[in-house]
Amino acid sequence: MMKAKCAAKGLLCFALLFSLILTFTATAVAEEEIKIGAVQPITGRFAFAGVQINAGLEDALMMANEEGGINGKKIKYIMEDGAYQVDTAVAAFKRIMARDNPIIMYGESTGLGKAMAPEIKDRYHILYSSTSFSSELADAAKNPYMYVAGPTYSDMFGILLKYIAKEKPQAKVAFFYSDTEFGRDPVEYGKETCKKLGLELVAEEVSKVGSVDVTSQVLDMKRKGVEYCIFQGFVLSPVPAVMKQAKDYGLKCKFMGTFWTTNKMLLDKLGPMADNYMGVMPYSFYYEENVPMIKKIIEWNKKHHPDVTYRPTSYMQGFVNGLLYVEALKRADKEGALTGDGLVKAMNSIKDVDFGGIMAPVTITDNKIPMGRVFKGNSKTLQFEAVSDWIRLD
Amino acid sequence: MRCGDYKESYLKDEEIFQTVFVKFWLALFFIFLLILPFFANTYILYVANLVGFAVIAAVGLNLLTGFTGQISLGHAAFAGVGGYTLAILMTKAEFSFWLALPCAGLVAAAAGLIIGIPSLRVKGLYLCIATLAAQFIFEFIFIHWESMTQGVRGINVPSPQVGSFLFNTEARFYYLTLGFVVLTVAYVRNLVRTKTGRAFIAIRDRDLAAEIMGINLFKYKLTSFAISSFFAGIAGALWVSFMRIVTPEHFPFHLSIQYLAMVIVGGLGTVLGSIFGAIFMTLVPEILNVTTSAMSDVIPQLEHLFIPLKEVVFGCLIVGFLIFEPHGLAEIWRRIKAFFILWPFSY
Repeated sequence: MMKAKCAAKGLLCFALLFSLILTFTATAVAEEEIKIGAVQPITGRFAFAGVQINAGLEDALMMANEEGGINGKKIKYIMEDGAYQVDTAVAAFKRIMARDNPIIMYGESTGLGKAMAPEIKDRYHILYSSTSFSSELADAAKNPYMYVAGPTYSDMFGILLKYIAKEKPQAKVAFFYSDTEFGRDPVEYGKETCKKLGLELVAEEVSKVGSVDVTSQVLDMKRKGVEYCIFQGFVLSPVPAVMKQAKDYGLKCKFMGTFWTTNKMLLDKLGPMADNYMGVMPYSFYYEENVPMIKKIIEWNKKHHPDVTYRPTSYMQGFVNGLLYVEALKRADKEGALTGDGLVKAMNSIKDVDFGGIMAPVTITDNKIPMGRVFKGNSKTLQFEAVSDWIRLD
Repeated sequence: MRCGDYKESYLKDEEIFQTVFVKFWLALFFIFLLILPFFANTYILYVANLVGFAVIAAVGLNLLTGFTGQISLGHAAFAGVGGYTLAILMTKAEFSFWLALPCAGLVAAAAGLIIGIPSLRVKGLYLCIATLAAQFIFEFIFIHWESMTQGVRGINVPSPQVGSFLFNTEARFYYLTLGFVVLTVAYVRNLVRTKTGRAFIAIRDRDLAAEIMGINLFKYKLTSFAISSFFAGIAGALWVSFMRIVTPEHFPFHLSIQYLAMVIVGGLGTVLGSIFGAIFMTLVPEILNVTTSAMSDVIPQLEHLFIPLKEVVFGCLIVGFLIFEPHGLAEIWRRIKAFFILWPFSY
């Protein structure tokens, strides 16, 4: 009977706690506020980037608030954790929509974007962008409310291939991708582009994310005499392993990667091999201190996050999304159309807008910004250095 | 004032609703479920739907694991088979939802039958690994059989429909889910008190003894696998048509573990337990989510601490429940009921 009493008490505590939560969440909000919601991968396997993306997005919005907001209206940023799982993320998305009804939402994954696409189009009518650079989501005809704040993975492949074609016409190229949606996304487009640019696609290697044994793939690349290898669908492993083995087997090949593999973490891991690694990046790096917007970001971080010494590219991704939101909000507000549809119109009207040099002047076409620069790793500084000017695909 | 239940026959002892009180409270609860969409917002209804799918899958799995004693680590795969069957039938063969749903269940049951065959030779941990293989095989098929499953891109599924009435919102789908949950629970609850159900329990307790008693192990183990996968298939199919999209990401390995956790946390071998387990495993992470985000609203500086903390809390809760009540939530519930039956005049 004692045990039962405890259980009953526990139940009571639980109920009390729950009602407490409800009162917390139901706190009233002021009228003149623009709400922006975000489902971020704060926990789960994408958390290493999620925390930074969240910080970047929030910083951009708070910066705008400090500078007077959207024509005087303040932005309220509402964030929930999606744990990088589709069901949890959809739940968080719906929770924010039901509770706060924001006009902009930021999503944590391609999966969430796909899951919410029908409802965003038919029911919510809100501006949506996400951590994903998936080609499928940047499709103005199918998903008019969804944007990619940069080039899609296909565009990134296009930029890299364009660079290769210029550096070494008719080069032998290999694609090395993970067996995931993330990995396969740009492969078809990449194949077509190779044909168009006169490059020879000699190998397609598939591997698991984080895989350790890549011998068979490397040997295959060696047999086929690959000169350029582009990675897709990984963040870290198995890129260092592939490069190490390629070196051991005497494969003379340059390695390249798209957004998520163009980060400091990888260069640190590569060490002396970093010189042989190139990547495409639509944003400026934290150490490009001559860029005005980067200067501003550094100052902001010094003031608000004094213990931060470096911000990775994932932070920049969130930040640029924030900048785009602010720009679209300002335009839509001027038109008196602070709705999802008004924001879509405002987004599509963004043409040659300079965001302090964090990107080249931005023009949105087909719900994305298909441009970037090619960077090369430096094994001494362990930083990326630009080796091309801005390449735009249109 | 109640002081005891008197049963004069075995028939009476096997009754599902043993007293008027149970019937009364259950009716009240059911009315509450029926009117829930009128005052709940879309988020709550979304979670309610998720709970419903979890209940269907967990009750099914409990039949296999809790009643027949066969562990399956491939339950998410069976749900996936159901989901994909429904999606393919509805988009390629243009079946209606009402025809595609039972087909989804049956195809999943067939998959379960095949995967269940090793259970005749292997037991315990070995069977665990054999069913684990199913998980990976099916995941591979979902990704690579592109002509059917459209690979990682997934298939967009139309909403279920009766005439021109579309089940395309959380509230509308909720009634659909509720209906299937009631059907599933009623079926399984009744099944376990039939000859088949008793055979399952006999196999769980000692399969050798069961065989000597004349129970056909081959037949009953496979039946259990089939029925259990059937419900997994139904749960998967419902989830897919609720989300209106199916991708291989929807049925990962950790979902299988989650289903197993629901059954264990809820209480092995009780239908009510798996319902509690499903509710617990779906609802508690959500409640923790709401709590942590509310906490980080109050103290924004500690946001990065609170949000990851919920996983720790969730883990501790599960461990705590298992230590303090190994028989699961169903047992806790029974004790609470026992306490209140004589309350406030308990002895």
